[in-house]
Amino acid sequence: MLHRRIFQFLIVYLLGIGLLFGIKIVLNLSDYVIPGPAGVWQTGQAEFSRYVGDVLDTFAVAVIGQVLSILMALGVGVAGRRATWLGSFIKVAAYNVQAYPIVAIAPILFILLGDGFLTRLFIAAMICYFPLLLSVIGIMSEPVTDIEHFYRVTGRLRWQLEVKIRAFENLHKLTTVISGSATLAMAGTIVAEFIAANAGIGYSIRIALYQSDLAKILVALFIIGITLSLYQGILELLGAGLKKVWAAG
Amino acid sequence: MKPGMTIHRLAAVLLLLIVGNGLTAADPVLAQEKVVYRLKWLINASTAGDVFALDQGFFSREGLAVAVKAGGPERDALRELELGYAQFGVASADQVIRALAKGASVIVLAQLFQVNPLQWIYRADDFSLTRTQDLEGRTVGITYGGNDETIMRALLASAGMNENQVRLASVRYDYTPFFENQVPVWPVYRNTQGIFLSDKLAAGGERVAFFDPSEHGVRFVANSVVTSQKMMDLHPETVGRFTRALLAGWQAAMSPARETAVIQAVAQYDRDTSESVMRRQLTVTRQMIQPDPGIPVGHIDATAWQQTEQIMIQQRLIPGPVNVVDRLKTQQSP
Repeated sequence: MLHRRIFQFLIVYLLGIGLLFGIKIVLNLSDYVIPGPAGVWQTGQAEFSRYVGDVLDTFAVAVIGQVLSILMALGVGVAGRRATWLGSFIKVAAYNVQAYPIVAIAPILFILLGDGFLTRLFIAAMICYFPLLLSVIGIMSEPVTDIEHFYRVTGRLRWQLEVKIRAFENLHKLTTVISGSATLAMAGTIVAEFIAANAGIGYSIRIALYQSDLAKILVALFIIGITLSLYQGILELLGAGLKKVWAAG
Repeated sequence: MKPGMTIHRLAAVLLLLIVGNGLTAADPVLAQEKVVYRLKWLINASTAGDVFALDQGFFSREGLAVAVKAGGPERDALRELELGYAQFGVASADQVIRALAKGASVIVLAQLFQVNPLQWIYRADDFSLTRTQDLEGRTVGITYGGNDETIMRALLASAGMNENQVRLASVRYDYTPFFENQVPVWPVYRNTQGIFLSDKLAAGGERVAFFDPSEHGVRFVANSVVTSQKMMDLHPETVGRFTRALLAGWQAAMSPARETAVIQAVAQYDRDTSESVMRRQLTVTRQMIQPDPGIPVGHIDATAWQQTEQIMIQQRLIPGPVNVVDRLKTQQSP
């Protein structure tokens, strides 16, 4: 699963970079507009270790943000699964808050929390929390009638069992959503660093943009892509393992 | 006369009128050559001459239909020149030199700012910065990767100071660290943000002063008008007409007598800045565009360009010399 993820990423990356080099050759563009393969390679050699450190820094924040989001989404999703006033309120609030562009909220966070770890964490969590929440609410509010009926008529269906049944029956969906939210968490952290931080790969990309250095950005994208592919692959493996353990138990 | 013939004649006359009218109306449009001019930043007092040239018909009198487009952090006029999205643009000297170092073919047509508006603001009541050495031990804001970082490093090096003697702090568009005095020396564009921040602090009873690198030996060139070598080779006459119209527009815009008209032109785009603030912004802009009446608007200061290139080589921002002086219009055949 892991090697397939990496292989797929490499195909996408090479296709993208190949397209750029193609455009450069066809339009006879200078290295200022699109760097050549040699330039990207040299930049990669010069910046690789520094950018790996930056990506790992970003990744650490993204993972913490994602874990927080998952916990919050599960908690709120379970609470909001019922067709009660509170459930409906949580859904409406989630939809509304998701509609706010993070670039508009980021400066407020920056004023409140400064330009450090907390701002990055908060933005990462915000960006991946709401899609997660909506998915969890969707999954948790959908009854698994065949199974739940038996427990309901025998009077043994408590809320914990209901949540467990729905989670187990939709484990594949949940794993996909959680794995997908890793991308959102990473993107959220990078956006936060771009707008309001002094560390991480988003901050380095911002500097590279100031310097009009596309080669640095291509190197950064490569490392981000590889890291995310690995992480998503690991999450999928964990999901598959969890299902096996759960089924055996 | 048969009724059918009358209808035919009427129709023919009508057709002639429509075609004739269409041709007459199309004439000036056909005469106007369309070009795109990409600015470096959003439209404000720093682009007064650009929008005034458009508003007052300086371009159209030269037979040009110019689309003046606002810039921004993600806009790069030099890239747009090469990709053909724009024919003219505004770029800072460091952008031009970086582009030349990477093989771009750029020509500098005019240097808009004779004094770089990028300066550092500080509270005049707290301390005084009369020499670069006065920065020692202070927290100084810089935008990492931006040209203020390059300028500050050049200042420190020229004063024989070690970078450890000051605390460099990363800044962005949020001024909170300056207001809270966490970063007391803050980079600003003197003619725009500088006015706004002075007002904010004045409201709290505080006075400000500015640290100008050019007064301490660092003459790092700011916004300049650029085009591509291709444009220069294929349409030299268009380049000449554009430059003439633009500089005439800037010259007119910098006249205090036309201040109200200039403010009206800028206000069409910059709706968030009040008229009184804009007046003060224009006063400072004038001093930076034409500090000496003997120097024409748009004058290219080749020595300052050479110094800018030298600074970038010293700081290893470019791998080697690019001979930027050869790319200045003063060195080109007209």
